[in-house]
Amino acid sequence: MKRIENVQRGASLKIFVDGKAVEAFVGETVAAALFAAGVSFFRLSHKHKQPRSLYCGMGVCYECLVTVNGVHAQRACVTLVEDGMKVETCKEVEV
Amino acid sequence: MNEVFDVAIIGAGPAGMQAANTAAENGCSVILIEGYAQAGGQYFMRPLGGQNVPPLGDFPILLNALVWGIFRDDDPDWRVALFGLNQPKEIRARNLILANGAFDSPIAFSGWSLPGVMTCGAALTLLKAQRLALGTRALVTGTGPLLLSVATHLIEAGVEVKAICEANRLLPRGISHAFTALGQQQRMKEGAGYLKTILQAGTPYKTGWSILEARGTEQVEEASISKVDSNGRPSGSPQKLMVDLVVSGYGLTPNTGLARMIGCDLEYRSDRGGWVPVRSGEMESSIAGVYVVGDGAGIGGAENSQLEGQVAGVAASVRAGKLSAESAATQIRQINPKLKKQQKFGAMLGDLFSPQAGLISLAKDDTLLCRCEEVTLGEVKQAVLNGAKTLGEVKRLTRCGMGNCQGRMCERSVSAAIVEALASELTDENVGYYKVRPPLHPIPQSVLAE
Repeated sequence: MKRIENVQRGASLKIFVDGKAVEAFVGETVAAALFAAGVSFFRLSHKHKQPRSLYCGMGVCYECLVTVNGVHAQRACVTLVEDGMKVETCKEVEV
Repeated sequence: MNEVFDVAIIGAGPAGMQAANTAAENGCSVILIEGYAQAGGQYFMRPLGGQNVPPLGDFPILLNALVWGIFRDDDPDWRVALFGLNQPKEIRARNLILANGAFDSPIAFSGWSLPGVMTCGAALTLLKAQRLALGTRALVTGTGPLLLSVATHLIEAGVEVKAICEANRLLPRGISHAFTALGQQQRMKEGAGYLKTILQAGTPYKTGWSILEARGTEQVEEASISKVDSNGRPSGSPQKLMVDLVVSGYGLTPNTGLARMIGCDLEYRSDRGGWVPVRSGEMESSIAGVYVVGDGAGIGGAENSQLEGQVAGVAASVRAGKLSAESAATQIRQINPKLKKQQKFGAMLGDLFSPQAGLISLAKDDTLLCRCEEVTLGEVKQAVLNGAKTLGEVKRLTRCGMGNCQGRMCERSVSAAIVEALASELTDENVGYYKVRPPLHPIPQSVLAE
């Protein structure tokens, strides 16, 4: 997934995805920034350890949970990026 | 905030915004509460940096404020409990207008929890507001005009749409609705524009088809589709499509969590998206002073939502003692003809595009129905064999509906699975709905402790 080109975006900023610096833009959600950075699966499910990602995209299904600035289980689809934000996906451990 | 507001409006989409404006114009003290970072709801989606949300009056608006509970105890005033950074812990109001919108009806099929499967609403937000080209090859499956909208936006973003599968057969029922549709010129024009883009791209629009299954390891890699019969059951041989995106849009479900929590009576209306609050002509629920408007009270679309918001804003102003019954009647008389027209159009869409009951047969025994607690169709069937006959009973036996989403994602499928297993005895109406208790959203225990 990539950003559509020739679109006016907010100011450029930097977030860290699992420790790696990634460019994002003001107004983007964490989910959009993750997708644009090539991260398509966000976490493993509790019981069966199956990959999960964004499903409803509007904050009602709680599938796109990631850790943001150390606070776990935040919804990537409704959380807006901020400069310096640290996002951790949860592919190893339970959310 | 110590003030007791005349009206608290929860949800700042088309319905809530209009309700708040109308109540404020009629002299009420008003507060508008929104869970997202901006007003506008799913309908007035702002492209990055852009603004297209209608103006709001001069009253307090709380953004990023999740309502996790509503309480009254013996007090005549409602206490609305909030969670959000820099938000008051609660606000008080004499009347409530719930305008909680809707979400895409989740339909369970094998592989629906894989990354790369998302709802129409999700895809539209990422395409239109976040300006992201999703995937490279897509399947759009579901029912309703939104499929055409999402396919068009995908094509315009450079994504190859392999097929659009519309689960309903639109003829001949569509013909009988043609006159209603003709009254909606703007919408018809929009639809014609979508069809043109889709035809030019060479994307097949297959009516009476649905996805059967999505497959992949960490991400969707392929999907199979087939014809379905008029009840939504697969009826043909599967076709394989190599896709990395599946957009699933089987209509919308009203978000009735808060109405359930405070005990509003609900009724089952398959043409309006499922369980909806019972309401008077003035949008008042079974609880006096609690109004429910917009898609959260039954799917009707944005214009219908605004008109319902207006009616509730007027009615709440009368209850708050700010408007005479005569003035209110005059205002409502002017709104009603427009509302009737919208209701007629909504009824047409409901008749043409409701997801069929037989779509539950897309789920296999090992398919998850409850994604949060990871409960499969097989486990739900077992619970029914063990005697469960209602959603509440299945929930107690399997934990389905007890996770983070509070049952929003599985209620429809679990209900259909129970009906399917006990076909001769039950309907969705008998099976009931999940009861909702606070907190409506997961919140830190420290907040609850206070």
